[in-house]
Amino acid sequence: MISSTIFIHPATWFLMGAVLLPFLNKRAGLKKGVLIAVPVIAFTVIHWLPDSFGQVSYMGFDLVFGRVDQLTRVFLHVFTVMAIIGCIYGLHVKETGQHIAAFLYVAGSLGVTLCGDYLTLFIFWELMAFASTFLVWYRKKTRSIEAGFRYLLVHTTGGLVLLGGIFLRYKNIHDLSFVQIAANGATFADYLIMIGFMLNAAVPPIHAWLPDAYPEASVTGAVFMCAFTTKTAVYVLARGFPGFEALAILGAIMTVYGVGYAAIENDARRILAYHIVSQVGYMVCGVGIGTAMAVNGAISHAYAHIIYKALLFMGVGAVLEMTGKTKLNELGGLYKQMPLAMIFTVIGGISISGFPLTSGFISKSMIIAAAGESHRIGLLLMMTLAAVGTFLSVGIKLPYFIWFGKDSGVRAKDAPWNMNLAMGIAAFLCFFFGIYPEYLYKMLPFPVNYHPYTAYHLSETLQILGFTGLGFYLMVKKLKPEPKMNLDLDWFYRKGARVFMVFASRPVLSSDGWVNDVYRRIGFRLTMALAKAISWFDWEGIDWTIDGSARGVVEGGNRVRSLMTGKIQHYIGGAIALTFIILIIVMLV
Amino acid sequence: MLLRILNYLNEHSRMLKMLFFAFLALTVVFDFYAERHAPHFFGDSIIGFWSGFGLLGCLGMIVVWKGLSHVWLAKEEDYYDK
Repeated sequence: MISSTIFIHPATWFLMGAVLLPFLNKRAGLKKGVLIAVPVIAFTVIHWLPDSFGQVSYMGFDLVFGRVDQLTRVFLHVFTVMAIIGCIYGLHVKETGQHIAAFLYVAGSLGVTLCGDYLTLFIFWELMAFASTFLVWYRKKTRSIEAGFRYLLVHTTGGLVLLGGIFLRYKNIHDLSFVQIAANGATFADYLIMIGFMLNAAVPPIHAWLPDAYPEASVTGAVFMCAFTTKTAVYVLARGFPGFEALAILGAIMTVYGVGYAAIENDARRILAYHIVSQVGYMVCGVGIGTAMAVNGAISHAYAHIIYKALLFMGVGAVLEMTGKTKLNELGGLYKQMPLAMIFTVIGGISISGFPLTSGFISKSMIIAAAGESHRIGLLLMMTLAAVGTFLSVGIKLPYFIWFGKDSGVRAKDAPWNMNLAMGIAAFLCFFFGIYPEYLYKMLPFPVNYHPYTAYHLSETLQILGFTGLGFYLMVKKLKPEPKMNLDLDWFYRKGARVFMVFASRPVLSSDGWVNDVYRRIGFRLTMALAKAISWFDWEGIDWTIDGSARGVVEGGNRVRSLMTGKIQHYIGGAIALTFIILIIVMLV
Repeated sequence: MLLRILNYLNEHSRMLKMLFFAFLALTVVFDFYAERHAPHFFGDSIIGFWSGFGLLGCLGMIVVWKGLSHVWLAKEEDYYDK
């Protein structure tokens, strides 16, 4: 029975696509067909989902792979739309591995969105973390390799906190179903789960992984990553923790913290990454306020944000793809060379700033209005201040220093057609939702009684945006980008790791000797055997039937690995493979 | 076509500047007429409140964060590589 409903689950299609892709290396046309067909099928499938499916009893646990209500539907909708856009944008990418990683990543996100219990959630949660790490590594620069390892370590830590919370919760109430937790009855276990979720939502002080890793990801990788990790976290927070005061306050702090860093950063993709922190802050705050209007606002903002933030990452990614640069101090005067990318990026910029007729106007304002209606004036002012900073750095500063400003002498032409098509679709959606907010509003879980296009709201928005523009005009010299980086809280583990290394190299090492001995005798042989088995599969199993490209990836990995110790890519690859096998067995049996 | 428009605008930056200031004036004038339903707090009933908020917020944010960056946060780009 399960095997017949397995194809209803949209993640199945991405998993099948990921399995199929390595065999299509030599057939570029077919590969592109799969890249488009899979997200389109998933987008179609989600319209026919039953309210509940895929219930499996496994070792006494009730696993629920499909639990569908209005909250699920709206996130599935935007995730699959985003997958279509992202796949079009990455159509020209030749490395199959990048596509596979993106597919697995999307599958993880869809799995989390659909699951009804914490165990299933955890499996897909970790799949997302592992798969997205590869999207960072595929940039293949030393910096991205290192950033990818940090990203993975931080997410593994967050995953463990989540898992700890899940176990404790099970011990307390013997129930693993993933449902709303009441704010006044929350226990330590629930807070652990919430912290695990908050890490993925990049809530300060556990946000630094995001602006650390996203700017180092591959061009298409960053487009996928900006959409899924944080917004899946917003989904699980909205599902489990609406009305938690900590979220309301931290969310409002996030909005200002993110724009502040964005104002002083130099790398265009890092500016955008800090703006994810800021924008997700609105959603976290909305979830924390917890009224029907605030949660509606958080969800509609998540929808709008995924589209325009992807558009911004695509526009800046196009510049990176064509010029190899993202630092503002090295760019400037590109409007003659890349006018299309400029127009699309500016559309993304005005959407994130909440210009009338764009999607930001109809979603962000809903959260701010909800804060006002709950008499949370402090939150309201912080979020409005963040809107000022958003327009300052993404609406004006970023396009100005890339496409105008002083001519940097960089020569380039507009990006390939598929990138422009993807940006065009996203830009269209930004206006579509701005002009027909009802389309978005009627997808929301609660009935909407909010009208964005009132005279006062227009007046407020135009004044704020206009006078922020004046502020930029007065201070443009002060904002000149400088080739510097800014410290953030990742300092603690990037510099702190060295202290740990000193500690580890002396006392721990000596006491660790005998453990090492045991490991060398038993563990090492086991892992070597596993690595051999996996690489045999990689070399003989796939390459025999296709060509040497998988071997090429391994060799690329080898070069990369010379920077590191051990064969960690193999272990991670093996872990993913193992997760899959378990998943497939569980679902089919 | 697109390029011609952009070039034209780039060459007529004075005109753009005047248009921008006219727009600012208009937004404040519009605020006199905008009907206020259920104001959330005192700022909602002051004419031009959000103009001041936008300008001061923008300037304040630049001063505070640029200051923080110069005094404390900004490091050489290879800071972590050393």
